Amino acid sequence: MTGLIFLAAAIAMMTALAGYRGVSIGLFGVSAVAAVLWLDRYMTEPLKLSF
Amino acid sequence: MGPLVRLGNAAGTAAIATILLIAFGLQFGLKELPCPLCNLQRVAFVLCGFGFLLNLRFGVQPLHYGLTLLGALFGLVASGFQALQYVAPGTAAHGAPVLGLHLYTWSLILFFAVIAGVAALMIFSGRSEHHSSDHQAALRFRGVYRLAAYLLIAATLANAANSFLLCGPVECSDNPTSYWISKYLPS
Repeated sequence: MTGLIFLAAAIAMMTALAGYRGVSIGLFGVSAVAAVLWLDRYMTEPLKLSF
Repeated sequence: MGPLVRLGNAAGTAAIATILLIAFGLQFGLKELPCPLCNLQRVAFVLCGFGFLLNLRFGVQPLHYGLTLLGALFGLVASGFQALQYVAPGTAAHGAPVLGLHLYTWSLILFFAVIAGVAALMIFSGRSEHHSSDHQAALRFRGVYRLAAYLLIAATLANAANSFLLCGPVECSDNPTSYWISKYLPS
């Protein structure tokens, strides 16, 4: 999944270079939302902060 | 201030690409595979670099800086969570320290640095450049600016390949010890 997020970000950058600003920002949004959802999946361990 | 700010954005783009390449170097040099949270911190650096790249291609605009700040905030959450996981005495940290600090601590510091850098660039930016045409912006996007953008795209594509080879198409193990692709390669 992280590979797909990287790929979406790379495609967003390439579309930006091609001049399609709206499309690239949309793809950035997709990859950012996917990254947040994926982070939420891995933030499961409780933090041991009292010692 | 225009050229200086553009140069600052090019430096930001190149710095993010360099961070990603150094992470690669440490991965192969220290033979330590990145954990899922480490990979997500790399994603956050890519998201930060995207805003800088948009500034280089379309001219400096607050929206682009906002995207970089969102990437940095995402990175702060990912690296901060990982740093807090190992903050209690006696908890085994993930990976070997580099220059006295673990990589997630370096990430935390670098995401703060990105926020500070964006603040400085915004202070010196003055008026946004959205009034200039796309043609003008495209004409100015050459030389070192173009090189920095290509470097970031190359680093992102390399990370995409690395992530796929390490984790496969979907799930990554919490503490990977070998590449996912190695299961399918003849020994």
